[in-house]
Amino acid sequence: MTALLQVRGLTKRYLGLTAVDDLSYEVEAGTIVGLIGPNGSGKSTSIDCISGFQPADGGRWSLDGVDLTGLGPHRIARAGLTRSFQTVRAYDELTLLENMGVAAQENDGIGWLQALLRGGTLRRADAAARARGRDLLATVGLADYAEAPAAVLSYGQRKLLAIAAAMMARPRLVVLDEPVAGVNPTMIRRIEAVIRKLNAEGVALLIVEHNVDFIMSLCSRVIVLEAGARIADGPPGLIRSDPRVLAAYLGKSSAAATAARHG
Amino acid sequence: MSADHKARPLLALAVAVGLLALFAVPRLTGNEYVLALGVSFATMSVLAGGLNLVYGYTGLLSFAQVGFFGIGGYTAALMVTDHGWPLWAGAMAGGGLATLVGIVIGYSSLRLSRHAFAIVSLSFALLCMIVARDWVDVTRGAMGIPGLLPPAMDLPGGLRWRIAQPADFYWLLLGFAVVAHALIYVVVTSRLGRAMRAIKLNEPLAQSQGLNPVAYKLLAIALSALLAGIVGGLFVFYLTIVDPSIFDFYYTETMLIMVIIGGPGSFWGVLASSAVLTVVPDLLRFTTDLRMVLYGLVLILAMLLFPGGLGGWLHRRRVARWRRPRPGGA
Repeated sequence: MTALLQVRGLTKRYLGLTAVDDLSYEVEAGTIVGLIGPNGSGKSTSIDCISGFQPADGGRWSLDGVDLTGLGPHRIARAGLTRSFQTVRAYDELTLLENMGVAAQENDGIGWLQALLRGGTLRRADAAARARGRDLLATVGLADYAEAPAAVLSYGQRKLLAIAAAMMARPRLVVLDEPVAGVNPTMIRRIEAVIRKLNAEGVALLIVEHNVDFIMSLCSRVIVLEAGARIADGPPGLIRSDPRVLAAYLGKSSAAATAARHG
Repeated sequence: MSADHKARPLLALAVAVGLLALFAVPRLTGNEYVLALGVSFATMSVLAGGLNLVYGYTGLLSFAQVGFFGIGGYTAALMVTDHGWPLWAGAMAGGGLATLVGIVIGYSSLRLSRHAFAIVSLSFALLCMIVARDWVDVTRGAMGIPGLLPPAMDLPGGLRWRIAQPADFYWLLLGFAVVAHALIYVVVTSRLGRAMRAIKLNEPLAQSQGLNPVAYKLLAIALSALLAGIVGGLFVFYLTIVDPSIFDFYYTETMLIMVIIGGPGSFWGVLASSAVLTVVPDLLRFTTDLRMVLYGLVLILAMLLFPGGLGGWLHRRRVARWRRPRPGGA
């Protein structure tokens, strides 16, 4: 069986600086995979490329055997790969339910004419989207705010909304870009629980994060990048003790100390 | 949106009563001045409504509306006078050509950026005026096409409507304005309008959810161009002349002010401001010297009191209401 997401030889250069260098990795269906690495190691750039937000300079990637190379972001999203952003994004003037509705509306097969004529098919699709939107908002604990404009949410709540919205269109793979950066510990536990719950429904997640503890406790596999290349790939236990990872990620001096601590 | 649901029957009633009153005006007063204001309101509100769709909902600053307006005017005038087309067909041809041109300039510039579109739309509007002035073979140059006489319109049921009196134009343009706003209303309250707002509010997020921004922007541009073109085609017959001044910056300025004061992205706000801003400059006519100064003051006050327009003010109130501490709230 081939992996859900297959990335082969992804390369991205900025004016001679190679941000992502011939990077290959896979994400199996239904798994949670972490993507970590020091600042500037190419984590965000690599997911910007595979989600279509940055043109890649080389490489191919596919979801479930469907080639996504070079497609625009909206096509990649429709193919089943959605994402959240490091700078949390929401439609501030729309209610939470409207935010959820937008996230689903390109995937229910309703054409423009149907949308304007407002027949039964549209009403059923909209009702289904509202029901799923309410369910997901309840899952992330924002049910009370379903009718509120997104502008009223706190930073952490916006992160939860972004995760819920990324799930709306029933994607195969959700890429989360720093889902817990700048979030308080209570909210981190809540986001972790939400991610587990969503994963239990079968969606695969690829998570870019600086918070190593978060990644280690959540992911079944962790990929470590340094200078745009993969230096390690395996279960959290192995990654923790991998000397290359410790050297690259934590710095050489603290690497020894950490290695000692983890025995 | 739950509040909207409750308000719907009330709103429908208000709209019905308002429309009846508006259409009855020529029966109540023969005052041509009042009718002229009505024609001006109908015309400008369609232009502003279209601009609101493009700028207010989709977030594209566009100066192209006046170009579509004039293209519609010229096309209709030429088709009716030179080819003997009926007025409605001429106006539709104007709307069609404007739509086509809108799609071409939109498609060619939207792939670059929003700013590229703003610049291209401005250049397009300026180019229109130059073409109208210098392409003498077709447009008759700076003198324009004077003496436009509207031929009778064939109505369903074998009726013929001779459009000659100011009241006829009032009904014609108001009738079209109703159709135009109804169309805009259907779009902005549908999921297409929601998608347009989403694209304005956060384009990368919209893309990450499968929305194709270029497609929705083109839809907004095409619809606004169609409506502006048709209303231009009707309006020049009211003026009885079309010349390069149909592309005047005055129209662009007026519709921009209407959208900004009304609140970009607010259907009713822009409709209300179209009405108010048609009437206010005329209410200020008592002092010719200070008229424009007072108008400027009104605009400045409006911007100070409602920085986001009427619609922005409503949004801020909604946010404030939800932010108020609630019993048991998070």
